[in-house]
Amino acid sequence: MWLDDGGTVLASALRLTAPLAFAACGEYLAERAGTLNISVEGMMLSGAFGAVAVGSATGSPTVGLFAGAVVGLLVALVHANLSHRIQINTFVVGLVINTLVLGLTSFLLQTMEFSRTQVGMLRIPGLAEIPLLGVLFEQRWPFYLLLLVVPLTWFLVNRTRWGLELRAVGENPQAADVSGIKVNVRRRQALMWCGLMSGLGGAFLSVGLVGSFNSNMTAGRGFIVIAAVIFGAWRLKGTLLGCFLFGAADALRLALPSLGVELNPQLLVAAPYLLALAVMVLMAKSQREPRALSKPFERGLV
Amino acid sequence: MSHDRARTDGPVPALELRGVSKRYGPVVACDAVDLTVQRGEVHGLLGENGAGKSTLMKVLMGLVHADAGEIHRDGARVQVHTPLEAAELGLGMVHQHFSLIEPLTVWENVALGEPGRIDREAICADVEAVGARYGLAIDPTATVERLSAGERQRVEVIKALRRDPKVLILDEPTSVLTIAESAALFEVLRTAVAAEGRGVILISHKLAEITAATDVVSVLRRGRLAFHCRTADTSAPELARQMVGRDVSLRSEGAALGLVVTDDPAKHLTPVLAGGLDAVPAEPPAPEAPADVPGTAALALHGLCVAGPDGRTLLDSLDLEVATGEIVALYGVEGNGQATLGDLLSGLMAPDAGEVRVDGRPVSLDRPGALHEAGVGVIPEDRHRSGVVLDMSVADNLVMTDLRRFSGRLLMRRAQIRAQAEELVERFAIRTPSIDAPLRTLSGGNQQRVVLARELSAEPTVLVAAQPTHGLDVGAIEDMYARLREAAASGVAVLLISTELEEVMALASRIAVISSGRITGILDVADASPQRLGMLVGGEAA
Repeated sequence: MWLDDGGTVLASALRLTAPLAFAACGEYLAERAGTLNISVEGMMLSGAFGAVAVGSATGSPTVGLFAGAVVGLLVALVHANLSHRIQINTFVVGLVINTLVLGLTSFLLQTMEFSRTQVGMLRIPGLAEIPLLGVLFEQRWPFYLLLLVVPLTWFLVNRTRWGLELRAVGENPQAADVSGIKVNVRRRQALMWCGLMSGLGGAFLSVGLVGSFNSNMTAGRGFIVIAAVIFGAWRLKGTLLGCFLFGAADALRLALPSLGVELNPQLLVAAPYLLALAVMVLMAKSQREPRALSKPFERGLV
Repeated sequence: MSHDRARTDGPVPALELRGVSKRYGPVVACDAVDLTVQRGEVHGLLGENGAGKSTLMKVLMGLVHADAGEIHRDGARVQVHTPLEAAELGLGMVHQHFSLIEPLTVWENVALGEPGRIDREAICADVEAVGARYGLAIDPTATVERLSAGERQRVEVIKALRRDPKVLILDEPTSVLTIAESAALFEVLRTAVAAEGRGVILISHKLAEITAATDVVSVLRRGRLAFHCRTADTSAPELARQMVGRDVSLRSEGAALGLVVTDDPAKHLTPVLAGGLDAVPAEPPAPEAPADVPGTAALALHGLCVAGPDGRTLLDSLDLEVATGEIVALYGVEGNGQATLGDLLSGLMAPDAGEVRVDGRPVSLDRPGALHEAGVGVIPEDRHRSGVVLDMSVADNLVMTDLRRFSGRLLMRRAQIRAQAEELVERFAIRTPSIDAPLRTLSGGNQQRVVLARELSAEPTVLVAAQPTHGLDVGAIEDMYARLREAAASGVAVLLISTELEEVMALASRIAVISSGRITGILDVADASPQRLGMLVGGEAA
């Protein structure tokens, strides 16, 4: 009996982890390059909206999914140029983008009609029969994109010259500059990747899990992603573990009533965020934060 | 390029700058500078802070774009827009600061700033090969933040030499090195120049280094090329005069320029560095206001221990006493715990163990402001970071540490603040358009006087001066020396934290040497010689 319940909760946890994991790959890379990108929330929300809008217009949720990623990229382009070209404070830019995306998508949702659009399931025969862990092999197909995106992100950051330069830029932009690295170009490029991944995460939420868009459907998941990167102490493995932790907390919140546990629903909604807060307090002393995180770079007289 | 060849009487120079100018707004950093570097030659570039040396080199490295002028490599005119282009033209630079990324490994740092794929194995092999060729052993997989200052310098040099530069530029390369490490560095340079025919530009403000290690010397003064000569045909006093623009004869001025030492430090390096230095004869250091009561020290540090966030020892049971009216210097190479001690005495951090006593009474270091209340004044090492607020007025900066005296329960007493500011500006001869001018508009020397005036106006028992003359011009240095002596004569215990040998020899009555967070020895200035200090700096007992 508990095995069935466990399987259900785990399945739900995995589903809820996936959008976070996509976006976290982006946020992790952006933060290693020195941008604490709070507009990841807006990128996810716009990606979710774009996916449903394009999916419903073309009739293909798959086209919608990739369109969502592109919408996230466009938001990133705006953020990158405002904060790493004309040097507006990145948090101000992020706040404006988040508020703007929330208002704009809610408005468009009211003025437009969308049909239901959802990508298909992919069930891997045999493996899906395994008790408990079988849920891993019975997911909406973009879930398996994680198998591509996660190693790719790790490889980009830790094995390529581009990634080495990103890390250099995130740790010590002055030194990177005198070594001949274009600091703000690298930071803009890192944000592009973040936009692409966050848009994909948002799109997976809408055309993958739900099949439609509703107002503020990311509901702060972007901020959870930022918490996950802190939880992972700016390492990819830890970040993904953090995503799973938050996904599991979310799944538990949904499962508890059906398991017969009665809790105040408002408190349940707040639970993942309380966890995020606790995690950040615990990890505040971590010494692995990129040293130039959220410090803008301008070549000076020095 | 035959007409170019005709212009010069010698062989085609490896590098030639013609009429390079660069201005930042109204400030002219470089004004039509000409510079020629031959193969197999060390070219010294001498100048005070702000003379335009760094800007000129940034132009060469493609970090700054000149407003006018030409750069020629092997006789052909070239454009340098980026550091990458500079590297392709065979220009390599060892930067004074800001060029290694601490959390990365040695090989990653060496690979930074090149195009193409990264091949870890090949780069590691390269690091070891270059290291072996020049005698610069280093583990390519070590993390840079675990390395000492000397080892980091080695990484910088390897990074530059691996790209096989035809012209190598070194910007103040010895500022963080011990005497032995400096000697080793010049040995490497000699190989690169004599055996491999590279050209070298050595930027320095240390006269001894320039006269000993260069073949040709150029002096920059306020952005202009003031003087150019073969090193053998000139002398240190002549170079000093060219650098400052007037005769240099005063003792403190000489010390500020690195002229007055009882002995020539360069002679003790290696034969490579041996060179004549006809310095201005040193007057024996006058016994400044002898310590009157050695019984209770005004400032006593006992067993101070501080560990860094990564577990490294920054201060290692440090003991030091400074008596009333005495100037004690804490001398050592940068990065051996001086910054930590400065932060500690500014109340920015608490030690893991040990105590600080002022006038015999222990001070509780956990409470902010306790040291200030106990009578410790501090001229911080980096005044822009922790000494002043550049965008606030001179008056506000002058009273900032003692606001309680100048405010009621709720409101500031403006009239009282202004009166105090006027008085201090007068007394310390601070050159400012008005006391309401933002501090940013003052020169470095006058900003430093504001800090000094503020700290001394609180009538401290102890004054800690950390690198008080860093970045100041000669006149301002001289003034700072006079005021520190005056403070000591009036009964303040002065702790001078300095990395300049000449400065500590000129000012202090006792010199304590710090190495890796420990005091390795304390010498009376009469017994101190550059050799003995040099050994202590290297961590050996003298």
